[in-house]
Amino acid sequence: MKKKKTKITPLDLIVSALILAAAVYLGYRIKVGLHYKWNWQAIPQYLYRYDQESGKWVANLIMQGLFTTLRLSIWGTVLATILGTIMGLCRISQSLFYRLLGRSYVELIRNMPPLVLIFIFYYFVSGQIMPVLGLNEFILAQSETTQRLCELLFAPPSFLSAFFSALVTLAIFEGAYIAEIVRAGIQSIDKGQWEAAHALGLSKWQQMRYIILPQAVQRILPPLAGQFISLIKDSSIVSVISIQELTFQGMELMATTYLTFEIWITITLLYLVMTFTCSLAVQRLEVRMARGRA
Amino acid sequence: MQGKELGDYIIEVERIRKTFPDGVQALYDFSTRIRRSEVVVVIGPSGAGKSTFLRCLNGLEDFDSGTITIDGIPLDDNKENRFEIRKEVGMVFQLFNLFPHMTVLENVNLAQMLVRKKNHDEATKVTMSLLEKVGIPDKAQSYPSQLSGGQQQRVAIARALAMVPKVMLFDEATSALDPEMIGEVLDVMKTLAQEGMTMVVVTHEMGFAREVGDRVIFMDEGRTVEEGSVEQIFSNPQKERTRQFIGQIL
Repeated sequence: MKKKKTKITPLDLIVSALILAAAVYLGYRIKVGLHYKWNWQAIPQYLYRYDQESGKWVANLIMQGLFTTLRLSIWGTVLATILGTIMGLCRISQSLFYRLLGRSYVELIRNMPPLVLIFIFYYFVSGQIMPVLGLNEFILAQSETTQRLCELLFAPPSFLSAFFSALVTLAIFEGAYIAEIVRAGIQSIDKGQWEAAHALGLSKWQQMRYIILPQAVQRILPPLAGQFISLIKDSSIVSVISIQELTFQGMELMATTYLTFEIWITITLLYLVMTFTCSLAVQRLEVRMARGRA
Repeated sequence: MQGKELGDYIIEVERIRKTFPDGVQALYDFSTRIRRSEVVVVIGPSGAGKSTFLRCLNGLEDFDSGTITIDGIPLDDNKENRFEIRKEVGMVFQLFNLFPHMTVLENVNLAQMLVRKKNHDEATKVTMSLLEKVGIPDKAQSYPSQLSGGQQQRVAIARALAMVPKVMLFDEATSALDPEMIGEVLDVMKTLAQEGMTMVVVTHEMGFAREVGDRVIFMDEGRTVEEGSVEQIFSNPQKERTRQFIGQIL
């Protein structure tokens, strides 16, 4: 098949010119209106700094924030997917109890501002449940290697309970949306597929595992990718409970350096790198899964 | 069929009733008994309850009252019994319902491995001989979407046969096919009938009914209007309603 040639029409030129003009005007306003002095040279030191003591380059505020955001996003995605899948299955269960459970969860979480959810969880989970679990004492009693590993995977021991509250909140919040995606994906599979599997003597679980889920996953992937990207971005709300992730570090830095534009542009780019990587990864996965079928 | 010996009753249906949640009464005190190796053709206008009857036989549809017994096992609330019956009753659907994410081989292997607990090699051996039987051994590695409708339906028959069922149900198995593909599927069904498979066939293919049907049940409004030998129903129907229907389709 021949590829269609990209053709630039006069309209494209006009639109491009307008966008360019808007950008130039914005730059002009920043320079003249705000008397803004750009100072990009200051930014790299907040990414990495040279540690005099150890004689090594170490991550500074922004990169530390990025790593925390990455940890939150990755674990959040894993937890939210597990929770969302279970709740999605509950939503279509034959048992009224499970259906009610799934429905209540989804409706409750979807109709609540995430910020409120965060506060509830922070003060409740972090304040009441974590001490009961004794997580902090447990970690502090471990060997140094374990503590290091914990720091690498989650957070330094002193921040651990706040980190877990944030993680649980994010997972519960995003899980509600994933539950709906999973439910819709499963319900979109033709009834005949269930019936054929039933007639062959497969158990309910086998029908789900071998027939329905493999087909549903393919349909679920694109909306799921959107949800993962949302999760990365939504992770910024946990900055309100002092989780030192990317947005939190940005606000801290801005308060001390006043490099407003430089810092937020840098942080925007870092978010973009994360979300775009996520998009690309899912796109490749989709292509790979589609290859099996003609 | 000349000279075919029919055995004892393998399917016994006693006065089953089924009303759908929307109030439509699909089956009304429907009863019938089917012998081993018998080929029963069920005909009737749409909405007569033919498909519902078929779907009740393997537990795809629950019925409100009455009893169904298949090879001595009652189809009741007992899970073991229901599982046993699902294993022993094969079904072929109007729209094939092959699993699109699996190759033909995997489609036919699946239930053998999961339900009959065969290993991959044993299952593949059975599958290849069945594909040979339905005439498409070269399509084992194809995906359903790469096959014609007729080929897909033949795979669906092979898939059901792989479970070595005692009864095969055909729910308008040729209705969704292009005319030139109907023959190839009917041929497979005829072979099965000649081999002594017990078959319940909902169809509009009167040629098939005449050739291999042992008995015809004419249904309307959830009950049997008339039943008898093929010759009797087609050439000399007793009831006015039957005459009317036969007149329309022949």
